[in-house]
Amino acid sequence: MIELLVRINNSIYNLSRVHRLLPWLIAYLVLLPLPKLLEFVLSDYYIDLANRACLFILLCVGLNIVKGFCGQVTVGHIGLYAIGAVSSALLAINYGLSFWVSAPLAVLITGFAGIIVGLPSVRLEGAYLALATLGLGESVRIMIAVTPALGSSTGIMLIPAPAIGDFVFDSFERYYYLVMTLAVLGIYLSFAILRSTTGRAFQAIREDPIAAAVVGINVTMYKLLAFVISALYAGLAGALFAHMPPGYLHHNNFTIIEMVTLLLMVVLGGIGNIWGGVIGAIVVTIIYDQTKDYYFYQPLIFGITMVLLVVFMPRGIGGLLGRMIVKKKFIKNHEDKVIDFA
Amino acid sequence: MFKINKICLGVVALSFMFVSTAIYAGDIRVGITMRMVSENGQKYGQMMMDEIDIINKSGGINGNNIVATLMNDECKSDKGVANANKLVSQKKVHLVIGSTCSSVTLPIVAVTAKAKVPQIIPHSTNAKITKLGSDWIFRVPVSGRFYAGVNAKYVGENIGMRIAYICAADAASQNDCQAMQGQMRSQHGAEPVYVAEVQEKEVDFRTHMQKIKTSNVDGIMIAALAETMARALIQSYEAGMDESVRRIGSSSASNAPVPKIAGDAAKNVFFAAAYAAADKRPIARLFNEMVRERYGIHAPDHDFSQAYDLIRIVEIALNNAKLKLTNSSLADDRVAIRNAIAGIRNYQGLASGPISFCRDSSPVCRDGNRTAVLIGYTKGGEQFETEVLARVTMPMDFGL
Amino acid sequence: MLETKNLSKKFGGLRALWDVNTKIEQGTIHGLIGPNGSGKSTFFNLITGIYQPDLGSHINFAGQDITTRSAHQIAELGVSRTFQLLRLFLDMTVLENVMVGYHCHSPYGILSPIFLGTKVRKAENIIREEMIELLEFLGLAEFADIPASELSGGQKKLLSLGRAIAMKPKLLLLDEPGAGLSPVNIDNLMDTILTLKERYKLTVIVVEHVLKLVMNTCERITVLDHGKKIAEGTPEEVKGNRSVVEAYLGKEMADEEIRRVFTG
Ligand SMILES: Nc1ncnc2c1ncn2[C@@H]1O[C@H](COP(=O)(O)OP(=O)(O)OP(=O)(O)O)[C@@H](O)[C@H]1O
Ligand SMILES: [Mg+2]
Repeated sequence: MIELLVRINNSIYNLSRVHRLLPWLIAYLVLLPLPKLLEFVLSDYYIDLANRACLFILLCVGLNIVKGFCGQVTVGHIGLYAIGAVSSALLAINYGLSFWVSAPLAVLITGFAGIIVGLPSVRLEGAYLALATLGLGESVRIMIAVTPALGSSTGIMLIPAPAIGDFVFDSFERYYYLVMTLAVLGIYLSFAILRSTTGRAFQAIREDPIAAAVVGINVTMYKLLAFVISALYAGLAGALFAHMPPGYLHHNNFTIIEMVTLLLMVVLGGIGNIWGGVIGAIVVTIIYDQTKDYYFYQPLIFGITMVLLVVFMPRGIGGLLGRMIVKKKFIKNHEDKVIDFA
Repeated sequence: MFKINKICLGVVALSFMFVSTAIYAGDIRVGITMRMVSENGQKYGQMMMDEIDIINKSGGINGNNIVATLMNDECKSDKGVANANKLVSQKKVHLVIGSTCSSVTLPIVAVTAKAKVPQIIPHSTNAKITKLGSDWIFRVPVSGRFYAGVNAKYVGENIGMRIAYICAADAASQNDCQAMQGQMRSQHGAEPVYVAEVQEKEVDFRTHMQKIKTSNVDGIMIAALAETMARALIQSYEAGMDESVRRIGSSSASNAPVPKIAGDAAKNVFFAAAYAAADKRPIARLFNEMVRERYGIHAPDHDFSQAYDLIRIVEIALNNAKLKLTNSSLADDRVAIRNAIAGIRNYQGLASGPISFCRDSSPVCRDGNRTAVLIGYTKGGEQFETEVLARVTMPMDFGL
Repeated sequence: MLETKNLSKKFGGLRALWDVNTKIEQGTIHGLIGPNGSGKSTFFNLITGIYQPDLGSHINFAGQDITTRSAHQIAELGVSRTFQLLRLFLDMTVLENVMVGYHCHSPYGILSPIFLGTKVRKAENIIREEMIELLEFLGLAEFADIPASELSGGQKKLLSLGRAIAMKPKLLLLDEPGAGLSPVNIDNLMDTILTLKERYKLTVIVVEHVLKLVMNTCERITVLDHGKKIAEGTPEEVKGNRSVVEAYLGKEMADEEIRRVFTG
C-alpha cells in the first residue's frame, strides 16, 4: 500500500518535471468524465453528492489555510459560507446580476467579513478565539433567520443558475463541471500559497508567533490575511452553494452541525494537510450519505470519531500518508548513498 | 499508466458498493422525506409506513405492492434536496411525499418538477410552495394564505372590529401580528385600536393592559411566544378586563405551555389548525383511538391527521391511476399518478373540510384544503381541555 | 551601531533591567555576561521588540530610534537573533525554516502567489538555491526536506543560527549559542560564527555562560547583575573587575580562586 503511494508520488513528481501543471491537467481530465461514470454505474444522485463534496473541499481547503497553516482556531467558518451564499443569491435576485458578477462580489464581501472574524485573533488564542469566532459565525445565521430580506424562515428561492451564453449550469452534471473546476483550482491555489513566502509566514506563525515576528513577519497582518483568504474560499463555496440547482437557501444549512461536520473533515484529513482536507471532505461526505439511516447517532458518532482522532491520529489520514512517503523517500535516498559507497 | 487504471478500477469497485437496493418492476415506489428529529415526527413517519403496510396486506393497489422509502431530512433544505434527488433518480420512485418543513419542501418542488415526479405535501403551509407553478405539486394541509385570513374572518364575524394588539419582537409573532392587522383591514376595513410593541420576553404588560381597558375594545390579540403570551394573558385579567373582551392568540397559542402556565386565563383563547382532537365526528374518534393505541399519543395534532389523510388520498389516486409498472413505463406512470391526484374531488377525511385538487398548476387547484378549524381552550392548567369553536372555510382564491 | 539609554524593564515589581546604557560598535563581537536571571535575555527581548521597554528608555539602531517599533519592523531593519530555547519551527522542514528567515527579502508581494505568477516561481527557485547554499555551509543540506523536529540537538542549534543568518542581518544577537554543547562543538560553533561574521560583515552580540569562550572571542564585554550594568570593557578590564567577580561568586570566595576560574 505504502509502496503504491510512494510510486504514485514519484510518478506525479516525474510528471511535474515535464511540466509543472501536467499532473494537475491529468487529474482534471480524469475527473471530467466522473458524472458520466457515476450516472452509468449509479445514478444522477451521486453527481449531486460529488458536487456537494466539491463544495466541502473548497470549505476544507479554505479552513485549512487559517487553521492548518496559520494555526488560528476558528469555528465561525460556516458563518462566512452563509455570507457568501446569501450575498451572491441576493445580488443575483435583487439586482439581476449574473453569477459571474454576483459570485465574485459575494467572495469580496465575504473577504471583508473575514477581517471581522479574524480581528479577535489579534488578541485571543485557542479556546477563547474559538468561542469568539463561534459567536460571530452563529450570529450570522441568526441574522439571516430573523431578517426577512435575507430569507428568514422562508429562505431564498429561485436563485438563478449560472450560464455561459446558452449553456446553463442547471443540471447536476453541468454544475459538476463548474464546481469541480473551481475546486481543483482552489486546491491548486492553496498549494501555490502554501509554497510561497506567504504560506511559510502562516506556518511560522502557527509554530511560534514570537519567532515569526523576530524574523520579520508582521504577525497581525498575516493572521488577518489568513482569515481573509479562507473567507474568500468560504465565500466562493457559499456562492456556488446558492446557485446550485435547485437554487434555494435556508439558514438551517449553516448551523453548528455543519460546522462540526466541516471540522471533522479537516481533522480526519489532517490539520494543515491540503490533500488530507480534500480526502476528509470526500470521505465524510460519503460516510454521511451512507449512514443517513442512523441519523440519531450521527452527531454522537461524529463527536466520538473526532475525539478519537485527536487523541490517536492527530495528524489525520493526510499526515499519516505524507509522513510515510517522506520517511520512505528519505530512507531510500540514504540507502542509495550507502550503495554508492559500496 | 497502469496505476491510473488501478485507481479507476478501485473507483468503480467502490461505486458498486453503493448500489444497495435492486429495483423491481411491478412495485409502486413511494419516497417519503420528512423531519424526524422529534419523537412526534418519528411517530407519524412510522404511521405512514404502517398505513402503507396495511394497504399492502389487504391486497395492495390492484395487486401491486407499495414500496415506501422513509428518509429523514432533519428539516434542512440541503438534506431534503439530497433526499429528493436520491428518491427521484436512484430509487426511481413514482411519488414523493414530503416534506414537513416548508423550508425543505420549497427547494424540493424544483427537484420534482424537473424530474417530472408527483409530489404531495403532508405538512408544509408556506403559501409560496404552490405559487412556484409546478405542475407536480399537491398540498394536503391548509395553506398559509388561508390561515392568514382565518382568524380575521372569525373575529370580524363573531367578535367585533375594535381590536387591540400586543406584538412581541420575535419573528413569528411580528409576522402574525402584521398579518392579522392587514387582514382586519382588508376583510373588514377595521383599523387597530391600540398597538403595543413589546420585547420578545417582556414580563410587565400592566400599563398596556390599563390603556387597553380604557379604550373599550372587543378583543385583544396577543402575538408572542408561548410563555410571554401566558404572562400577558394572566396580566390582562389582573388588569380587570373580564371575559367579554375576547383574547386572540397568535400561532404559538397552540403550544401546551400557554394553557399550562396561563391556567384559567387561557380559557377561550383560540388558534387555527387543520384538525382538532376534540372533533366529535366518528371518523375522528376512531382515528384518535387508533393513534393512542398504536403510538401512545393522547391527542393527535394535525401533523398526524394530515399524514393520515395524505395516505388515504394517495391510496385513492393510485387505485384510480392506470399504472403499467414496467421498467420502461416510469415516466408514464408518474404522469398517471399526477393526473389521478389532480382528479380527487371532495375527499372527506379527518380534515375539517373537503379536500379537492384540479388539473391546473395554480394554487387554486393545488392547495386542496381550505377549511381551518378554530380550537379554543375550555380549561387551562396541566389537564387543559379544548373544543372546536368554529370551522372557517376560505374562498379558493383567497390571498392570491 | 546599537546604543541604549536608560534601558529599563519591570515585570510587576521585579526590575529585570535597570537603566542600562551601552554602546556596541559596528563590526565588533560584543559579549554580554552575567549570572542567571541578571537580565541578559530581557536585554535581547527589548532590542528585538518582543517586549516594549519602560518609559524613559531609548534604543537607537543604525541611526534610527527603534524604542517603540514592533518586532517585525526591527527585523526588517536588520536585527536578527537566536533564542536560548531555539524556538525553531519544528513542524516545518529544515529548508523551510531558513526560507522563513528570508521572509523580509522576498521579492514578490504577499498576494502574488494568488495570481499564479511565473515571477513567484522564479523567485522561489532563487530563494531555494540560496538557502540550500546556506544549509550546505552549515552542513545541514542533506536534511533539507525533513522536519526540523527530527534534527539532533546540535543540528537544531546550527539551524537556528542558519535561520538568523538567512535574514541577512546587520546585527546578530546570539542567546547562549554554546549551551548544551560539548567543548569541541563549542569551538566549532565559535569558528562558524566568526566565519559568518566576516562573510556577512555582521555586528554580533553574544550572551554566553562559558566565560572562556566570551573572553577569547569578544572585543568588548558588558556585565549585568540583577538587571544593572556593573562593568563594561575589554576582556582584560572585566576580568580584573572586583564587582564582576563578586557578582558571579559572592564576596566570600578568595580572589585567587576566582581569577583561576575566570582564566580557566
Ligand atoms: N516575561 C517575564 N515575566 C516576568 N518576569 C520575567 C519575564 N521574563 C524574564 N523575567 C524575569 O526577569 C529576570 C531576568 O530574566 P532573563 O531571562 O533576562 O535573565 P537571563 O540573564 O537571560 O538569565 P539566564 O542566564 O538564566 O538565561 C528574571 O528574574 C526573570 O524571572
Ligand atoms: Mg537568558
